[in-house]
Amino acid sequence: MEIIYTQLFGSILDMLHFKYLLPLLFGTIAGVIGGALPGITITMTIIMVLPFTFGLDPLQGLAAMTGVYVGGSAGGSITASLIGIPGTPSAVATTFDGFPMTRNGEPGRAIWVGVWAAFLGGALGGIFLIASTGPLAAVALEFGPWEYFSLFVFALSMVAGLVGTSITKGLLSGAIGLVITVIGTDPIMGVPRLTLGTDFLRGGFPFLPVLIGIFAFAQLMSDIEKMRRGAGGVAAAGPTPRLWVSQAKVLWEILSRPFLLVWSTLIGVLIGVLPGIGGSAANVMAYDQAKKFSRHPEKFGTGIPEGIIASEASNNANVAGSLVTIMAFGIPGDAVTAVMLGAMTIHGIQPGPLFISQHPAVAYGIYAAYLVSLPLMVLTIAAGSRLWMRVISVPKSILIPIVLVLCVIGAYALNNIMDDVYVLLLFGLAGYAMVKLGIPLAPLILGLILGDQIEVNLVRAIANDPNPWLFITHPISGGLLAASVGSVVLALWQHRRHQQRAGMPEDEDNDF
Amino acid sequence: MPSLHTKETKTMKRIIAAVSCALVAASASAAYPDRPVKLIVPWAAGGDTDNIFRPFAPLLQKHLAQTVVIANVGGASGTVGEREAKNAPADGYTVFAPHDFVHSAYYTGVTDVRYTDFDPICMISSTPSVITASPKTPWKAWAQLQADAKARPGQITVGASLGSTSQFSMALVEKAAGIKFKYIPYDGLAPRMNAILGGHIDLTDSNLTQKSKVQAGLLKFIAIMSEKRNPEIPDVPTMKELGFNVVYAVSRGLMVPKGTPEAVQATLATACVAAAKEPAFANSMTLQGTEVRFLDRKGYAQFLKDNDALYKEISDELGLTKKR
Amino acid sequence: MLSRDGVTGLVFLALSLFLLALTRGLPESTMVPVGAGFYPRIVLGIMAVLSAIMLVRDLRARGGARAPAAAPAQGAGLNYRLVAITFGLFGFYVALLPGLGFRIATFLFVLVLQPVLDPPPGWRRWALVFVVALATALFTHLVFEHYLSVLLPRGSWTGV
Repeated sequence: MEIIYTQLFGSILDMLHFKYLLPLLFGTIAGVIGGALPGITITMTIIMVLPFTFGLDPLQGLAAMTGVYVGGSAGGSITASLIGIPGTPSAVATTFDGFPMTRNGEPGRAIWVGVWAAFLGGALGGIFLIASTGPLAAVALEFGPWEYFSLFVFALSMVAGLVGTSITKGLLSGAIGLVITVIGTDPIMGVPRLTLGTDFLRGGFPFLPVLIGIFAFAQLMSDIEKMRRGAGGVAAAGPTPRLWVSQAKVLWEILSRPFLLVWSTLIGVLIGVLPGIGGSAANVMAYDQAKKFSRHPEKFGTGIPEGIIASEASNNANVAGSLVTIMAFGIPGDAVTAVMLGAMTIHGIQPGPLFISQHPAVAYGIYAAYLVSLPLMVLTIAAGSRLWMRVISVPKSILIPIVLVLCVIGAYALNNIMDDVYVLLLFGLAGYAMVKLGIPLAPLILGLILGDQIEVNLVRAIANDPNPWLFITHPISGGLLAASVGSVVLALWQHRRHQQRAGMPEDEDNDF
Repeated sequence: MPSLHTKETKTMKRIIAAVSCALVAASASAAYPDRPVKLIVPWAAGGDTDNIFRPFAPLLQKHLAQTVVIANVGGASGTVGEREAKNAPADGYTVFAPHDFVHSAYYTGVTDVRYTDFDPICMISSTPSVITASPKTPWKAWAQLQADAKARPGQITVGASLGSTSQFSMALVEKAAGIKFKYIPYDGLAPRMNAILGGHIDLTDSNLTQKSKVQAGLLKFIAIMSEKRNPEIPDVPTMKELGFNVVYAVSRGLMVPKGTPEAVQATLATACVAAAKEPAFANSMTLQGTEVRFLDRKGYAQFLKDNDALYKEISDELGLTKKR
Repeated sequence: MLSRDGVTGLVFLALSLFLLALTRGLPESTMVPVGAGFYPRIVLGIMAVLSAIMLVRDLRARGGARAPAAAPAQGAGLNYRLVAITFGLFGFYVALLPGLGFRIATFLFVLVLQPVLDPPPGWRRWALVFVVALATALFTHLVFEHYLSVLLPRGSWTGV
């Protein structure tokens, strides 16, 4: 154990050399910007950075990519807090409380609570994981199709509790997400399903255009409907937002909630280690947990720091988790680490069980890059804070068209086809309609992320053995399914109690 | 054999260069390429195919003297990108980077786009399949695996992308050895590795990129489906040595939409030859567990034709062929 | 008349039943025990049950105590016309993209949408609108096409 830390310390010193620090800084800045721009995901940013890394030595290239990953995860929260659109999927839950806080006139607090939570969650997660790579990896390997299926069902059922007004609507939203993934070519045999015979629907609805469409339009159109003709400078109206806050106060806000910080970090780490789920699920789950454990769950969504801390601490801890999975197994946890894996193989490094012993310099170099990029991320955001300030003081009439253009580029660029832009428009309409119908958006997104995985693991389990009882008799799987049922029952019970106390169900629809 | 091969292609290269020069001179139009060329990789960034074309693109760019941009157009087993490439203008500014899925996807009915909708430019690489077993299985060598498979037909689990190359290779083994496996759907090599390390599947088709896991005792290579043993893994026998005529590799190359002007095809082919010969390309392919296997336009066309017939045959035998 | 939730339930119930009907033609698999229709039927069934619950609840609430008619009041004063126009313009933009190419279509879209959202009071704001439109189109094109290697639609008029 001591050797690990000696080695790590040496690698951190190396990382501070100009040779590695420069690409790391460049990557972190690119990540923050890419993460902050709505519609530009971390995946897209890392793909854009990839060509620049070919000419560098392996660790320089991987340092740049690690910087993008860390910077992007934190950068997503800036947009989430300032304009209410998650800059990346992993900042979805940050919008729930970050944006209300900005609306309450505290944009600086919203950003810095997010940044410091990301920093602390990332650092805690990183240190914890460097020490426990082996055991965690062993657990993840034991998960077969039954366990994965039940885990995903559990994740979905938990999100049903996210919804303030109606559990039925929350579950319906999740079901809609699952139904969207069913349309298109089936993941097992490539049979076209529910396509009405069209080529357009054959490839299914790609995740990113759907996500961008639903969130961007739900948000932008809700802004537009409140605009008045001739009102002039709509966004500038109201108190002038200040980004300056006392850093000590913000840090104390986080550190005075150690349980929340550690629990959110733990959720992020665990979800990061399990391949295929990724940060987009971690932040929503951590938010939900924070709400469930809270003494005042009704305050969630009104702009309280707890919501931001849960989301940001978990999504940055998630980065650490994914990095460990890729290093220990050579298995990418998400699209971002898949690109990193590609970069490693291009440089002749095969991550896997032997990685750390065969390439200790590179392996510890990645850990070091990760740890060093956290303070760089904080500095980048601090240095650019005037710029973020300008982003929100731009009149909405200018900002909205530009954001829409970026959404089009984001939808188009990942696959380079116009069809994805049509999907963007379609789900823009759908997202706005859902807001108007009072259906929450978060469960839909989780359903969308997990849908294919749920189906594939279900079919794998059945192909292995058609006996349905195995889902219950496998201990991990059975436990997770019991927990799913418990989660829904608990949410129902909480909801009923809340209604009885309040007398009448309130009707607040703006919970994205 | 390889030396003869290069000699042949060298001559070929000269001829092609001469012909293309003459053609370009003859035509009054502006010289191709005068703007960036889009290379459609029909799978996500970071996948096997992407990893092979990423290092190839800059080399192609060097010899084409024009920017080459990789566009990852993923979805529906590669067929979304295939359709996109087919519908692109036949002007040489859109190049398609397929692998053998073009045959299997057509016969299993995933798409109605066929390899004949394209003109071949060159083949650049070939990745031999290796039968790989989970550490939780008792077999040490092929003979034990075969005996076990005969004793429990249809019970040994194989992770594969159903209807795609990783199933076709194992189906060839089944057929040659007279055994029967149970297929579990795992799309892509990465999820299969996860499942096989955890013992959730017994066997899968993988390749030399997994060598380090074998050395660590986490996986077992049972046999390789190439003509000769691979120097990287000299202890692993070929299926041929074991007495089964099973040779299977996934090959990748470049194609352009049918009807692309002859001069443009020739220019691309010339650049492709030069790029595939670069030592840098050979190096990165060795790291990917892949052999550089170059075929020129004619050779690739013949290869595609033979390969297509083979895929039709296997697809028919597996009962996967879609009636049309 | 049904309330908003009742209509939602009815719409999704109809949608799930329609899609369920479509799953009837899906083939059984030759390789695995369940066909391509197996999982969609489960998911669509869940959606049908949930939307039916919403519908039934709404009908029962109607029979019992009247829910206060707060919904219309909530919608009053919102500028739905502007939302519809924005969606329309965005639709136009998307439709024109392949034909006009990214640069021209983006310029036109940003040029038109800005004054629609907030009519400029004087020529200075009009100039700003023009500059923003031009800068957005050229800057995004430059950055993505030249530095980030993302090929945006060029427009069929370029003959590409």
